Amino acid sequence: MTALTFSKIDETVLATLRPPERSYWALVAVLFAGILVGAACWVYQIFVGIGVGGQNNPVAWGTYLINFVFWVGIAHSGTLISAILHLFRAGWRNPIARAAETMTVFAVCTAGLFPFIHLGRVWLVFYMLPIPNQRQLWQNFTSPLMFDVVAISTYLTVSSLFWYTGMLPDLAVVRDRSTGLRKKVFTVLSLGWTGAHEQWRHYTRAYLFFAALATPLVISVHSVVSWDFALGVVPGWHTTIFAPYFVAGAIHSGLAMVLTLMIPLRKIFHFQDIITMRVLEAVAKTIVFTGLIVAFAYGTEFFIAWYSHNPVELAMFKYRPTGDYALGFWIMVVCNTMVPLLFLFKRIRTTIAWLFGISILVNIGMWFERYVIIITSVSRDFIPYAFGLYAPTVLEFGIMVGSFCLFFFLFVLFVKHLPSVSMTEMKEILEEDDGHGQA
Amino acid sequence: MAKPNAVMGVFDSEQATVSAIRAMDDTPWVPKRVHSPVPSHRIAEALKVKTSRVGWFTLAGGIIGFCSGFALAAFTASRWHLMVSGKPVMSWIPFFIVGFEFTILFAVFGNVVGLIHQMQLPGFKGLRQHDPRCTGEHYGILVECGSGEEGDVEEFFQHRGAQIRRFESAP
Repeated sequence: MTALTFSKIDETVLATLRPPERSYWALVAVLFAGILVGAACWVYQIFVGIGVGGQNNPVAWGTYLINFVFWVGIAHSGTLISAILHLFRAGWRNPIARAAETMTVFAVCTAGLFPFIHLGRVWLVFYMLPIPNQRQLWQNFTSPLMFDVVAISTYLTVSSLFWYTGMLPDLAVVRDRSTGLRKKVFTVLSLGWTGAHEQWRHYTRAYLFFAALATPLVISVHSVVSWDFALGVVPGWHTTIFAPYFVAGAIHSGLAMVLTLMIPLRKIFHFQDIITMRVLEAVAKTIVFTGLIVAFAYGTEFFIAWYSHNPVELAMFKYRPTGDYALGFWIMVVCNTMVPLLFLFKRIRTTIAWLFGISILVNIGMWFERYVIIITSVSRDFIPYAFGLYAPTVLEFGIMVGSFCLFFFLFVLFVKHLPSVSMTEMKEILEEDDGHGQA
Repeated sequence: MAKPNAVMGVFDSEQATVSAIRAMDDTPWVPKRVHSPVPSHRIAEALKVKTSRVGWFTLAGGIIGFCSGFALAAFTASRWHLMVSGKPVMSWIPFFIVGFEFTILFAVFGNVVGLIHQMQLPGFKGLRQHDPRCTGEHYGILVECGSGEEGDVEEFFQHRGAQIRRFESAP
């Protein structure tokens, strides 16, 4: 490993913006094909009707809502890394902050599609906008679904602005080291940034406020998502622990996705000196912490069901580990709470293959967590007459594949066209460490 | 009156830059701008820069946001005149959630407006007196001086180990 310098950081990151090879465009084409599959399924659903999905009474919220919550969750660790860890001055965040913020923006975009897909008659989405109308109907802001509209759109706007503002100095670096059309494009994008002391004076202040505002926002957004469930009087949903439980779960899944994205990025772009093993190890340790919080939340749900003596609640929590969806439940428990504990062993959390494998398992586990929460509770409501099973249809799988492809497609485009590591923040670490890379 | 010219001393390190800024106190010249690839507290201290006023824009945005979010929720509720789920038409507590989200949203808008206003973005005039090395690994001190003084300024910078870049004065 060579010691990092300012110019080596610039060189390494700018090398990622060189014209890509054919294999890159092949990957882009495959992902685009996946998006087309998802789009085709959605178009089919619009023409035929929402009934082509598996959602029906009593399970009206299927994979569309599962994926919505999953992607919102993925978005959370980006803000954790860029805002919360910035306020705590955690140096290990700097090499991965940009990619994590980007992940946030793209994950919220992907999540935001699902309420539209789930609407069925998507052209009526403007019913959710508080505008004067001839229907004389106004939104009811006592509904958690309306909280969600406000929270998610706020989160998307704030994280996009945070992402772009954070990138300004780096866009200027690219501008100053390019020629031709690229120089022109980056001159416009960098808005005339020169790194003058007056610019830094306002920029550092504004960035601090961004971080300070994004921190409560990120906690509020997944709390609001949890209230979509917790404010409904449904066994398994109607509980006060849902907000912190969802926030911890969101960060858990988001950190796992950070590892899933960072490990190939590090390998392909030769970022080993920037995204060091120490950084990956720090993410792994945080996953152990969030995994323990999630495990505590799972345990608390069962304890409260037993302690409450509520027969419906008790029946629900007997049903989850032993009923029709038991497989999903046990995948959730094993992948989210037990597998991350392997990171307690230094040898495992410092081995790339283990880090990558476990991150994928946690992602799978977190998807199943949402599956278990959403499906089991409504499939076994209060009245046995209303019990029913749910299974996603091929069309729903098509839309899900499309959403994953969309997310990775946007990310893959990003890493070859914009700086995927914050050069400025990396240089700040060196400056603090007196010119020796400790990242 | 002679038109002023601009000379930039390009330094390798933050330390040399700070010491040049301090030494400039004993000269008739004042740094017009100091460029650096990273934010520097030491440079800010040497230049005695004041705290940015961006925060006031953020605060104003937050206050406007809370009031408008709360007012929007209250207004739409008042249009219903229907009791839903036994809740009063004016259910104040849920309105705080909308108020909170709007507080953050408008505070961020205020922050961005403050940034644009205070930094005068987008502004491409500064690029005319900009050395591309200063976004990479170098530090630059830009000084405007009277015609005929360029030599003295250059000597001052060169004496402190800087490379020299001369610009035409800003229009």
